[in-house]
Amino acid sequence: MLATGSAGAALTAIAGPTTLPAADALAASERAGSRYFQHGVASGDPLPTKVLIWTRVTPTAASRPGSGKGPRAHVTWEVSTRKDFRTVLRRGTFVTGPSRDHTVKLDVDGLRPATWYYYRFGFQGTHSRTGRMRTAPAAEATPTNLRFGVVSCTNWQAGYFAAYRGLAQRDDLHAVLHLGDYLYEYGAGGYGYGQGDVDIRTHDPKHEMVSLEDYRRRHAQYKTDHDLQDAHARYTWIITWDDHEVANDQWKNGAENHQAAEGDYHRRRARAHRAYDEWMPVRMDGTAALGDGDRLYRRLTFGRLAEISMLDLRTYRSQQVATAAPTPVPAAEAEVSDPDRTITGDAQMRWLKESLARPQPFWKVIGNPVMITPVTFAQLPADVLAPINDVTGLLPHDGLPYNVDQWDGYTADRLEVLRFIKDRHIQNALFVTGDIHSGWAAEVPYDVGNYPLGGTGAVEFVCTSVTSNNLKDITGTPARTTSLAVEQTILANNRHIKYLNFDDHGFSVLDLNAKRAQMDWFVIGDRADKDTPIRYSRSFISISATGRVKETDVPLHRQKPGQS
Amino acid sequence: MCGCGDRHAPGEPTPYDVGRAELATGRRTLLKAGSGLAFSTAALAAGTGAADARSAAAKTRKRVYVLVVDGCLPEEISGGQTPHLFDLMVSGQRFAKAQSMPIMETIPNHVMMMTGVRPDRSGVPANSVYDRKAKIVRDLDRSSDLRADTVIERLNRRGLRTGTVLSKEYLYGIFGTRATARWEPFPVLPITGHAPDEFTIQAAMAMVEDVDPHLMFVNLGDIDRYGHADITGPLGAKADRRLALAKTDTYVQRFVDLLKSRGLWKHSLLIVLADHSMDWSTTNRVVSLSGPLDDDPVLRGRVQIADNGGADLLYWTGPTAQKDDAVRRMLRIAKAQPGVLSAHDRRQASLRLGPEAGEVVVFCRSGWRFSDPDPRTSNPIPGNHGHPATRPIPFFLNGGHPSVPRYAASPLVAQTVDVAPTVARFFGLTGTPRGGWDGTARI
Repeated sequence: MLATGSAGAALTAIAGPTTLPAADALAASERAGSRYFQHGVASGDPLPTKVLIWTRVTPTAASRPGSGKGPRAHVTWEVSTRKDFRTVLRRGTFVTGPSRDHTVKLDVDGLRPATWYYYRFGFQGTHSRTGRMRTAPAAEATPTNLRFGVVSCTNWQAGYFAAYRGLAQRDDLHAVLHLGDYLYEYGAGGYGYGQGDVDIRTHDPKHEMVSLEDYRRRHAQYKTDHDLQDAHARYTWIITWDDHEVANDQWKNGAENHQAAEGDYHRRRARAHRAYDEWMPVRMDGTAALGDGDRLYRRLTFGRLAEISMLDLRTYRSQQVATAAPTPVPAAEAEVSDPDRTITGDAQMRWLKESLARPQPFWKVIGNPVMITPVTFAQLPADVLAPINDVTGLLPHDGLPYNVDQWDGYTADRLEVLRFIKDRHIQNALFVTGDIHSGWAAEVPYDVGNYPLGGTGAVEFVCTSVTSNNLKDITGTPARTTSLAVEQTILANNRHIKYLNFDDHGFSVLDLNAKRAQMDWFVIGDRADKDTPIRYSRSFISISATGRVKETDVPLHRQKPGQS
Repeated sequence: MCGCGDRHAPGEPTPYDVGRAELATGRRTLLKAGSGLAFSTAALAAGTGAADARSAAAKTRKRVYVLVVDGCLPEEISGGQTPHLFDLMVSGQRFAKAQSMPIMETIPNHVMMMTGVRPDRSGVPANSVYDRKAKIVRDLDRSSDLRADTVIERLNRRGLRTGTVLSKEYLYGIFGTRATARWEPFPVLPITGHAPDEFTIQAAMAMVEDVDPHLMFVNLGDIDRYGHADITGPLGAKADRRLALAKTDTYVQRFVDLLKSRGLWKHSLLIVLADHSMDWSTTNRVVSLSGPLDDDPVLRGRVQIADNGGADLLYWTGPTAQKDDAVRRMLRIAKAQPGVLSAHDRRQASLRLGPEAGEVVVFCRSGWRFSDPDPRTSNPIPGNHGHPATRPIPFFLNGGHPSVPRYAASPLVAQTVDVAPTVARFFGLTGTPRGGWDGTARI
């Protein structure tokens, strides 16, 4: 089918039987297509009858990412329930060009709920590799279980994406959650492997990404990683951003890693968001279209069993509190509890409350870019603290935090969320988090100074980083040495935290059923080794309706679906 | 008032008093059961009716036992604290996301369990209401207060035996003589107006042995009553409450053991749920609306308040022509009070409370309570319910009947109003109440 119109236009047709290519012809077509489809394929944001699919075409050698060069290109797409595309259910043509960096992103509708599909793109008689995607269950469905890969913090320069390989090799997931820091802004040598920031692989461009071309080239580079391509092709992803998609420690009007010489911050962020919209399989402002808004927080419903609310905790937040001593020294600045400061922004806070209040979803999963669990020292019960602060106003609400870039630096917003949960006794709120390059399982207390008697409003599982430096890397010490003491200090002062691993990189697998939520942590060996082994590490569960977390010695791979 | 103690006009006999008087006058017949317990049946039914019922009973061996662990929180059913209840929950069909329905009080939710319809159809929206005819705030504890048909009566009409073993006087009152046999709760503790679970479970077991009802509806009131009075509740310790949970857990197991020993378990569906949960507050977190409402020149002296612990029902008693303005004022004033979570025009469709609930419904926040009309004396107790914080409840099915799922869990939201349609489906009752069930069969 031919298409006309401007770049980004998509035409869709319901397809009938088509000519059947033989398997070897299919493979040959894909090999030929690798010349045009150098950045893989991806799918994202599954709905019961609709999934977003993505690719990037390189129609000419000059059409390099970020170059702004190259012709308009008509890219075909097909969706089938068969890997060999013997029958094609949906097909169409998408017109792309240099104005959108030759990316292709569109919503495929008319699909059946809870169904695996195959998709591919075509150009000049060749085909892309075949991707696999899955629709969400119907709104009233009660799936036995839902299983998600969970990842965050993938720094190209710090090593290879073995964790993505681990996800791509699995066959038991329904989708993949990426909690942010999908790519990093630093230039060569800026942030790499270990204490010396060695570049295992060097970023392109070699300088910090600032311009639109920079952001496009960096996205393109990440999309050439074979493990990343395999994981995208294997599963439908649900992604949010954290800070590094723009610049380190970004907030609504700036970032730690944005200097005046780099121009206006909001223009820089707009460029970053534009490139993100072009290159990532996400719906921004609810659509696959470009330029119609950059709201990334959104809900995805999986029948009655779960709803995932993906947060954006960077675009609307107040500036981080300046602390007298750097992280991880506990911060005594009471400004972290200033009610005028926000991490969500007003509109997103209202939206998050709507998510929590929705009656039907059993698990209310919150895709949460930074930790919400208090990680603090010298906590006092709220009833004791309140009169002290009435007089002095000197103390943070939930104790002295070690990292004010997390919800710990915005305790008024956290308190607002927890009060909302408590006032309605909302059950099964589950925060799934990235950012902090370490693995955690924790309960989120209503009043950290009165834990456990004061009850808990949610639980939180935090995946570790795929490659970004963790504590042992930063300190340059062997695993399970320096980190152990830090972990024990934190655990001893925060009894609501049940698991903490500061040393390992890897990925997690989250499984949900009506009995419990379980997260398994998988860890990798050396990030510098492309073929580094992957092994299972630990498992923690939260029995439904309890708001509690405990360890289990039965990993998911030893359970049947629906088992507790 | 928290809405949980019995409330009547001075000198007025309670339905419980009336019931005992009926026994004395011979309008009801006392069946002497084992252990010195007594059940009453309708006098006319005691002879021939019993025979008819036995005859009908031969047609089905199915039994349903609805055990209400009054006021229990879902998270209180745990392996350490309530091992027997936990085992029943885990090994049966659990609904981990289950809810009480507004107003989250004892009487309306027990009525929803047995009618399968919401309060706008049953006439029973709360424990405590303002009776416009009698011009008093009173409990909805009269049999005539309940306007809807119950699954108890539906089974009776099929010739099946039914029994109520209700530990609280006002539940005894509102369900009246609907069941084939009802326990006269005894001994009833002063102030709480309930019989301890130790006696209630004895009665339930005696009724199984002596009457063998096809449907038995049992309320175990200790968890609720200990919760109301637990002064360690606001601190989270809940020392008294934990004791009650442990004791009631053993009583439930004793009851299950009896069913098994009598060969009834394999034909049984056991439904265990709560009517509402519980929340605790300190004396400095009390909302009293009577003062702020009286400060308004239009509302002064023209609003009656039925205090239901975590919910206040406001009734406009002034001219009808001023009602809309009065509702707006009540909503505005209520929403402005510290500790108030929300205020609603009672006609809001989702509430489905009916005119008996007045004009405005006000819910408090977690950790607060209402005390009206007097902010100090009307409701001094720490444990309360009625507000959204007390909505989640435990709800699970067990039993030996083959239709009961084993080791299953559902993500669906079960509600108290689901009990009657579940019972009806289990017994294969055809037809539904006029207007249909408001609940959903869960088996």
